[in-house]
Amino acid sequence: MAAVAARGGFGLGRPGWRARGDVVRTVFLARIRIISRYKGAIFMEALLPIVFAAMPVLLGTAFAGPNAAQNFQLNTGTANYKLYMLLGAATFTVVSLMLWLIGYWVRREQETGTLESLYLAPASRFWILTGVTSYAFVRAFSAFLIAIALGSVIFQVNPFENGVGVALLFLALGLLPLWGLAFMFGAFIMKIKEADSVIQVLQWVLAFLIGVFYPLSLLPPFMQTIAGLFPPTVMTDGIRAAILNIGYFYGTGGPYASLAVLFAMALVVPLLGYEVFEVTERRLRRKEGVGQY
Amino acid sequence: MGLTRFDVRNRIVCFWDMSKKKIVEFSRYPVAFIALFVQIFLIITMFLYASLAFTADPTAGPNDQSRQIGATVVYGFVVGLFLSFTLWEMGFSLREEQTRGTLESLYLSPASKIGSLLARVFAILVWVGTLSVFAVLFVGAVLGGLPVANAGLATVVLAFSVSGFLGIAFVFAGVTIKLKETAQFLVSFLQFFFMIFSAQFFPFRALPQPLVDYVSRWLPVSYCVDLFRSLMTGAIPELIPDVAVEFGIVVAFGIVSPVVGYAIYKRFERGARTAGSLGEY
Repeated sequence: MAAVAARGGFGLGRPGWRARGDVVRTVFLARIRIISRYKGAIFMEALLPIVFAAMPVLLGTAFAGPNAAQNFQLNTGTANYKLYMLLGAATFTVVSLMLWLIGYWVRREQETGTLESLYLAPASRFWILTGVTSYAFVRAFSAFLIAIALGSVIFQVNPFENGVGVALLFLALGLLPLWGLAFMFGAFIMKIKEADSVIQVLQWVLAFLIGVFYPLSLLPPFMQTIAGLFPPTVMTDGIRAAILNIGYFYGTGGPYASLAVLFAMALVVPLLGYEVFEVTERRLRRKEGVGQY
Repeated sequence: MGLTRFDVRNRIVCFWDMSKKKIVEFSRYPVAFIALFVQIFLIITMFLYASLAFTADPTAGPNDQSRQIGATVVYGFVVGLFLSFTLWEMGFSLREEQTRGTLESLYLSPASKIGSLLARVFAILVWVGTLSVFAVLFVGAVLGGLPVANAGLATVVLAFSVSGFLGIAFVFAGVTIKLKETAQFLVSFLQFFFMIFSAQFFPFRALPQPLVDYVSRWLPVSYCVDLFRSLMTGAIPELIPDVAVEFGIVVAFGIVSPVVGYAIYKRFERGARTAGSLGEY
């Protein structure tokens, strides 16, 4: 009996699919329970894209005056600059929140001293991270939906005029590479520690590369190339192009080329992200340990 | 004993020591400083690009209009930077002490409480000042120069503005003691509220007139932004087209706000100490 137990463990040692599902669910629920205590955070996340979108709209219209819509159309292909900014800002919130929440989770666990304890648990980190990223996804997507709904009322724009289905496809596909990027980001935070400052600066790097407030064609050619290799850029561009009926970053014949690129990214980036996370984690465990902060 | 009877010299030494503690803390995280530097340039660049999307010919080089846009963004941004960092740093730092469990012990020390609050923002404000100079130089270099009409008086306006912001920060430090984590969201909200209604990134004329009349005109921060920007660009202030009147408002704000703010802070602090919740988080 003892030999059987020693060989097979006590059940927890080799969790089956049900136990893995339980790990994801428990982590997810724990995070949701924590955030539900801070309703202000959810409100702010929804408000943020609207404020972000309002600033360039007000700046642009103040200087371009009655020609604002006409000039904007010349540069972007649509005169609906309010919806353009709102979509950009709302998608940016999704990207930023996904990375922010994972980065902060790693850092918080490090600071509170529970990250190392997680490594003693028989649950695989993959499933714990899946729970955290699922929570991040739900929170980010909720913020996106509220921001679009509220922003549409405030800016008096209709986001359902064109291509909502294609836009949702871009969003769904784009979340997969974002998941991978979140893993990479978590690994990076684990390594360098200073989460706050890194997240903040990266947030603006992202906003710059994504082209939250402007078309990528305004960037210098080499910057356009870099931005195009970045999955959130393709996602944001796709969502905006589908809803506003404007040109896509990749290809001229509709959304297919951009979708294909995003699909390829969706295959590669999550695997790459998790690999990076594992390698970083292994190295840290060999050296100072993951709990040091 | 000695320490319990603070004279001016003791207060200054104590303030410097507390500021030094923050500087030492900051120096341990050099990435944070570099990140802040990079972040500011990125924000400005992004807004400049955003404004390009509204111009008839974005490929054309810098002209008077682009310089005007740049000046509006960067001068408003400078005031916004001081406001944001004053608001954030004080409350955030108190919150950190609360969660670390050192806030209560700090209150047992005879050190000046106002000095302790000011020391939390001193280092970061010096750094923000440096960043602001670089931000103006950066935009000036990109756009081939920026208007700098009355830098001397604008600096005085900025000094009174920062003093006024400290008053708001005192209030939020008190609110942080009371509301704990929620206060941070409140600060975030306030930061964005001022960003929009005090027209930090755009001229006031961009806002709908009722918003200017019923919201912006009632916020002292709006006059700080308006006066600093108009003095730097040499334009007439937008809210009240009289520099002397706006200057009076900003000076009054700079004097009254810290006094009222600190009184409110003390009230929150007393309440927490009476309830024994100062260190609770």
